[in-house]
Amino acid sequence: MGNVHNSMNTGKPITVTIDGKVCKSTFGKTILEIARENDIYIPTMCYLTKVQPIASCRMCVVNVDGVDGMILSCQEKAVDGAVVTTNNHELYQERQNIMKLYNVNHPLECGVCDKSGECDLQNKTMEFNVDQQTFTARDQHRPVENWGHVSYDPALCIMCEKCVRVSTEITGDEALKVKFGGYSSEIINVKQEKNYASLGEAAAVCPVGALVQTHFKYTANAWEMTKIPSACPHCGGGCQMYYEVRNDRIYRITNEFEFSNLCGAGRFGFDYANEGVTKDAEAFAKAVEAFKKADSLLFSSQISNEEALILQKLKEKLGFKLVSHEASAYQKFMASYAKITGKHLYGGDLKRLSSSQGIIVLGSRINNDSPTVKYHINMASKWHQARVIYMHPMADSEIQNIVTQFIKYEVGSEEGAAALLAHTLLEDAALTKTLRASLDDLDIGNLSAESNIGEEELALLKKSLQKKHGFSLVVGSDLYMHPRAEQIAKWIALLEEYAGFNVICIPPAGNAMGISLICDLDAQTEGYTVGYNAPGDFVLSALGGGDLDMPALNQQEGTLTTVDKRVVPMNVARSYGGYILNDIANALGLKAEYTIDYTVQLPEEKGFSSIEFDALPDYFDAVGTEHRGYLLSAHKVPVDRTLDEVEELEAYDGAVIYRCDPVDQFSPFTAKSPLLKDEAVLSASPQFATATKLEDGDIITFEVDGVRFERVFKIDTSMKGTVALNPTFDMGLSASSLSSYRFSRLVFQKANNEKIGNDNE
Amino acid sequence: MGLEQFKNRNVGQQEYVLLDVGHSPKTGMDQFKQVVRRTFKGELFVGLWVTMREMINALFKGQMHTVKYPFEKLPISPRYRAIHEMLRLLESGHYRCIGCGLCEKICISNCITMDTRYDENQRKEVSEYTINFGRCIFCGYCAEVCPELAIVHGPRYETASEQRASFSLFEDMLTPIDKLNLQQEYDGFGAVTPYADENIKKTPLAY
Repeated sequence: MGNVHNSMNTGKPITVTIDGKVCKSTFGKTILEIARENDIYIPTMCYLTKVQPIASCRMCVVNVDGVDGMILSCQEKAVDGAVVTTNNHELYQERQNIMKLYNVNHPLECGVCDKSGECDLQNKTMEFNVDQQTFTARDQHRPVENWGHVSYDPALCIMCEKCVRVSTEITGDEALKVKFGGYSSEIINVKQEKNYASLGEAAAVCPVGALVQTHFKYTANAWEMTKIPSACPHCGGGCQMYYEVRNDRIYRITNEFEFSNLCGAGRFGFDYANEGVTKDAEAFAKAVEAFKKADSLLFSSQISNEEALILQKLKEKLGFKLVSHEASAYQKFMASYAKITGKHLYGGDLKRLSSSQGIIVLGSRINNDSPTVKYHINMASKWHQARVIYMHPMADSEIQNIVTQFIKYEVGSEEGAAALLAHTLLEDAALTKTLRASLDDLDIGNLSAESNIGEEELALLKKSLQKKHGFSLVVGSDLYMHPRAEQIAKWIALLEEYAGFNVICIPPAGNAMGISLICDLDAQTEGYTVGYNAPGDFVLSALGGGDLDMPALNQQEGTLTTVDKRVVPMNVARSYGGYILNDIANALGLKAEYTIDYTVQLPEEKGFSSIEFDALPDYFDAVGTEHRGYLLSAHKVPVDRTLDEVEELEAYDGAVIYRCDPVDQFSPFTAKSPLLKDEAVLSASPQFATATKLEDGDIITFEVDGVRFERVFKIDTSMKGTVALNPTFDMGLSASSLSSYRFSRLVFQKANNEKIGNDNE
Repeated sequence: MGLEQFKNRNVGQQEYVLLDVGHSPKTGMDQFKQVVRRTFKGELFVGLWVTMREMINALFKGQMHTVKYPFEKLPISPRYRAIHEMLRLLESGHYRCIGCGLCEKICISNCITMDTRYDENQRKEVSEYTINFGRCIFCGYCAEVCPELAIVHGPRYETASEQRASFSLFEDMLTPIDKLNLQQEYDGFGAVTPYADENIKKTPLAY
C-alpha cells in the first residue's frame, strides 16, 4: 500500500474465508483490506484507504461465524480461520437503513449539485434501492459557508469525517474539526490562512457535495469533463493528478484520493498554460540561429526529462555550455553523496518515511519546500508517534504540531550541523578506520559553539531515538547550494550507509532530479546565452513574452522524475499551437517525430529504464499499490570514503534573508496561476524589523546574485530571529539566475535611497 | 370455371346491351344548334351557384375555411417536436432551467452546449446556452430528460431562416417575459402524467 498506517502488521500468514472464497493474507490486516485484495466487494461510505479507519458509517458491517452481532470490517483485524459473510438479508437491511438515515433531509438538489454523477451517496442510494423514506427529523437552517478555495454546505454533509482525517493525518495542519452536536453536528474550519492543502484534500475526499472547490462550483458536471492523467510538475513531488478538461479549459484537478495526496499548488495551480500561441516561422528561424551561435544555454527546472535529454543531445552536438543552477548544485551534491554510499541515488523513499519512528529534517523549510514529504512526515507522526527533529536556522510555526524537537543552528553552519549529527548518531556504528578517525578528529566543542547546537540538544536527540526503530533523514536545498555542499553530502551519506537511515534528498525544484541525472551540467554561463524559461540573449519562454513561445508543462507530454525516485508520465491537458523544443532539435539535426520518442532513450546508466512513453503504466491497483511509470534503479558507482575537515564557518551576522516561497508557491508557473494568490513580500519577525530599522510597509530594494528585488517589508509576528523570508516565485524568468546559498546577507536600499545594512562583504 | 370457357372466343353469342347515347348531329347546322343549346342551358349556373353560396358564406356569414398561412396557423399536436422553447416559472417569471446539464449529456447529436456559473445568490446560473439547429435531429430526448420541464418542444415548425443562429440562443428560446401569461404548459415528452398527484407518496413526519 502507498501509505503505512498499520503498525500491527506482523506478517504472520493467515487464511480467512470470505463469502466462501479462501483468502490468504497476513495477520494485522483488516477484513476489509483482505476482501479488497481478493476483489470481494464490501460497501463503505466513510472508509478512506489512506487514513486510519474512521468507522463512522457502519456500512462495512459483516458477519463472522461464531461472533454475535455485526462486525465493522474496516477496523476489525482478521484472525486465522475466520469465516466471514459480507452479504445476507439482514446485512442488506442494515445497510439500506443506513442509507435511508443518510438521506433524511438530504436536499434533493442532485440536478445542480456538483457531486452529482460521482457521488457516493447517490450511488449507494441506488445500490440499496432506497425508494421511500421511513425516517424523519426536523430540518434546520444550515447556511452555506465560503471558506475561500472551498465552500461548505452543511445541509449536504453526511459527517463521514474523511475531511477531518485528511487534514489531521495527511496534510497535518489540522484545519478542519468536527463540531459535535448530534443531528446538528458540522465540520468547522479552524485555520483561516495557509489552509489550501487541507481544503483541497478535503474537497477531494468528500463523498458528497458538501465540500466543493469554490472556483469549480456550478461550472460543470462530473461527467462532462475528460480526465487526463498526469503528474504535478511544481515541486519535485510528481504527485498523481488528473486534469479535468472540457472545451480546452481545465476546470479542476482531481486525484486518486483514496491512495495519493495533492498539495494546494497541485490542486489549485493549474492555470498556467501558454495560451494563444501560433507558429511564428520567423521567430523559429531566429531561435534555430540562436542555438547555432549559442555559447551557453541557461534553463530552469520546469522541464520534462525528455526536454532535458534533448538539451543534453544538443549540447553534445553543438558544444554549448548547459547551465541550470539548482539542478547543477543537486548533481554535485549527489555525486559526492554517491562516493560514500556507492550508489548514485539516495536510498530513501516516501513509504518508509511514513512508517518511520524517528525523523530528522535538515536544511529545508520542509512545509514550504516539499509538501508531499511534509505529509509523509506528518503521517509518521500521527500513525507511529514518530519523533520529528527539525534542524533549521528558523523555527516554522506551521509544523510545530508535528515537530518534537527543534534544533536551531546558525546560518551557514550546515556543515557543522551535519558533522555533529553524524558524530552523534554514528557513535556505535561499524565505520572504516579512516572514517572513524575523521569522526574522532572532529572538534565537537568548537563545532557546537560555531553552529550554536548545544551538546545537550544532541544528547536529547540521541536519547529520544532510543527504543525507536525506522529512522529517516530528510535534507533539502539549503545544503545543495552551500559552498561546502560536497562535504555536507558525505556527512549525510554516512548516516544512510552506516546508520541505516532512510535518507531523502529532496530535489530543489521542479524536475531538478531528472535534469541532474540526464544532463551534463556546467557551472556558469558565458558569452551568447539562450535562456529556456530563464533570462538570456535569446529567450524561449513557456510563460509567454519571450523571443519564442514554448509550451508549459500542462501542454506537453513527457516524464518527470519524482522525490520518490519514480519516473512518472505527464499527458497533454491544454492545446498548444506553436513550436516546441523538439522542432528546434529537429531543425538542428536531431531526429524524432515527437518529444516522447526520447523517453525510451533516457540514460539507463543513470537508472532510467528503456520503456516507451506509451507503455508506461499510470494507475493504483485495488489495494493502493502505485503503478505509475517505473522506479529508478540505483547503480553502483566507485566509492571514495574520505572526509575533509570541517571548514571554518563564514559568519552571517545581522540581517539575513532566506530564499523561500510561501506555502504552495514554487515557480513562476504557480505565480501565474490565478487561484494561488500570494503576495510576494519580504516577511520577517519584529526582531528583524528592529535590527534593520524597517517598518511594516517599507519598500526596499536589494540584489541577490545580480537579480534585483523590490520588496514590501512585512512584519510577521509568528516568526522569530533575524532571518527574513524572501520569495522568488514572482520574479519570472530571472528566478532561474539565482545560484548562491539560500541565505544571504541583506544589503538594501529604502525607497528613499538611503543605504542601510551590513555591507561588510 | 373450366379452361374451355376462356377459349371460347365467340363473343357474339353473349348478351350485350346497346345504350341509348342519343344521336350525333349529322349536318353542320345540327352541330351549330347543339353548341348553342348547350351554351345557354341553366346547368352552368347550378355549378356556379355552389361557388357563389360558399363565397357569400365566407364573406358575409363568417364561415371562411382558408387558413391565412403564414399569418394564421393550424394548431399542432402537443407531441410534435419542433423548435425548442425555454419555459419560465409562472409564479416568479424566472427561467426554469437549473443548469443540470442533462440535456447536454443526453443529446445524441451533440448540438446542445451550455455553461453555468456560481452566481451572487449562491445559485447555479446558466451563463450560456445554445442549440446548434444545423445538427439537431429533433429527437426530443432533451425535453424528455429535463427534470424541470424547462426545455420543451414548441409548435414552431418553420425552421427556415437566413442564419442558423436565429433560433439557437437561450434568450431566443425563452418565453418573453411580457408574454408569460400566454405560456402554454407542455404535454409532450417528459410532461407529468395526468394522475401524478395521486401517485405521490408522502414522507411520514414523526414530529
